[in-house]
Amino acid sequence: MNTAAFVLLAGAAFAFTYRILRGPTLPDRVVAVDGLLATIMIGVIVAAARQNESVILATVLVVAIAGFVGTSALARFIERRGG
Amino acid sequence: MHVLSGILLVAGAAFVLIGGIGVIRFGDFLSRTHAQAKAPTMGLILCAAGAALELRSAVAICTLVLVVILQLITVPVGTHMLGRAAHGTIEVSIDEVDELARDKARWAEEAGADAAPAGQPGDEPAS
Repeated sequence: MNTAAFVLLAGAAFAFTYRILRGPTLPDRVVAVDGLLATIMIGVIVAAARQNESVILATVLVVAIAGFVGTSALARFIERRGG
Repeated sequence: MHVLSGILLVAGAAFVLIGGIGVIRFGDFLSRTHAQAKAPTMGLILCAAGAALELRSAVAICTLVLVVILQLITVPVGTHMLGRAAHGTIEVSIDEVDELARDKARWAEEAGADAAPAGQPGDEPAS
């Protein structure tokens, strides 16, 4: 079951990475990075459930905060740069 | 309980995959934002429920609830900021309705009307 979840997450990570490499504009890439961070968070949650280890869940919190700060900083950057 | 948590984990991962497929397949930026913001959040909620059923310790459940609440607050805010920032560079072409452009034009007009009688263009707010 957990392995199936990991396989689905790997497919999602490939999809977001494709959009990061391919995305025509910077906002597309930022959106894809946000999705990739969400995928990483869910991957860590699935790994915690798989190994029965609740300590690594703190990583998810850190990734969530870092993702929000990065997204808002890049949004301000895009707004100021004008594209 | 194992089976239920496994089903929840797989369903959450499937939601993330749907979001990824949407980000690849959709044609313009706002549609991609739509796919990216909603589906992985739902996947995170389902996966957190699955992991909480599997771990069943107070620390794990508190952390997962915190993560879900944080994500539910920050994802709409970040996506909204990004869409607003990108608004000047993309064309909103789905249905020819662009309310932010209309509002921006109206704000500029009102700012111009306010600034003109004062005659001091220097003390307009910078934003």
